[in-house]
Amino acid sequence: MTRIKRGYIARKRRTKIRLFTSSFRGAHSRLTRTITQQKIKALVSANRDRDRKKRGFRGLWIHRINAIIGKNKKKQYNRYSNLLYNMYKGQLLLNRKTVAQMGILKGNCLFMIANEIIT
Amino acid sequence: MASAAASLSTICTSFTTHCAISNYSPKTPFSQSTFFPFSRTHSLSLSFQPTLSPRLPLLPPKSSDTAQALSDPQPATQLVQSPPLQPPSWEPGLFAVVMVGGRQYIVHPGRWITVQRLKGAKVNDKIALHRVLLVGTDTSCYIGRPVVTNAVVYATVEEQGLDDKVIVFKYKKKKKYRRTIGHRQPNTRIRINSIMGYENYPKVTMDDIKDEDKES
Repeated sequence: MTRIKRGYIARKRRTKIRLFTSSFRGAHSRLTRTITQQKIKALVSANRDRDRKKRGFRGLWIHRINAIIGKNKKKQYNRYSNLLYNMYKGQLLLNRKTVAQMGILKGNCLFMIANEIIT
Repeated sequence: MASAAASLSTICTSFTTHCAISNYSPKTPFSQSTFFPFSRTHSLSLSFQPTLSPRLPLLPPKSSDTAQALSDPQPATQLVQSPPLQPPSWEPGLFAVVMVGGRQYIVHPGRWITVQRLKGAKVNDKIALHRVLLVGTDTSCYIGRPVVTNAVVYATVEEQGLDDKVIVFKYKKKKKYRRTIGHRQPNTRIRINSIMGYENYPKVTMDDIKDEDKES
């Protein structure tokens, strides 16, 4: 067999990985072996967190709705649980994201809805 | 067009480049796709800034402007014949909550949204969205239970594109299993033209709330 040197095959592969990890902190963007490990961890985290993101946002919306609804002290029912219960009873299809966004951008609308439903 | 650009710039300076480019760009579909990244970030930030809602109604329809360019080569006549900036008869602060592709969007006339890919829709198709869950204005609200009857949102398909690439990386440690898959979700960009058909539905106004507060 003729002699074949490996040349820069490995270097080409590692350059791509290095580019991916280029903004990581300290040794995680400098040392070759750590770079490969960190790229794997980063991609796995991204995968897992894409599903976590959905959960996180839903919790955020619920929190926001609760905060905004809790402002009308005059009403007896100023809680997220009551609002949702009455929304299901009144057959509204609005989801939590829309209600939370409306509470921020168009506060009047949310109070109008709450007033309509909660009785 | 010059006055239109000036008035736009007074409303919102940070977006003059985007508005100016869309004014003077060549009227081809590719011009829209090159500005897609700009308008995407703008749209994400726009959703948190209610006061800027009348900013993006200007939409020189591509076919009509090219037709005018062919018939009237002078730029002066082309500028005069451009469509008016503000849509004529919307109530102030008109918006709707519409359900498309399993997701709900808050929609203003004149703005665009990105939805899941609508199969069989071609560019410049007119679309009617019937699942309108709520229509609202500055003063009143039409709450759908679950849908506002006879309300329709008319829109035009602007572009059928793909989302940014997402790398799906499956990995099991110590078991020598790793798979790399790239994925681009197809989407459709839609420009909302008008919201109609909600006038006969029972509505709720801020006055009702104030009356109740006074009574109690």
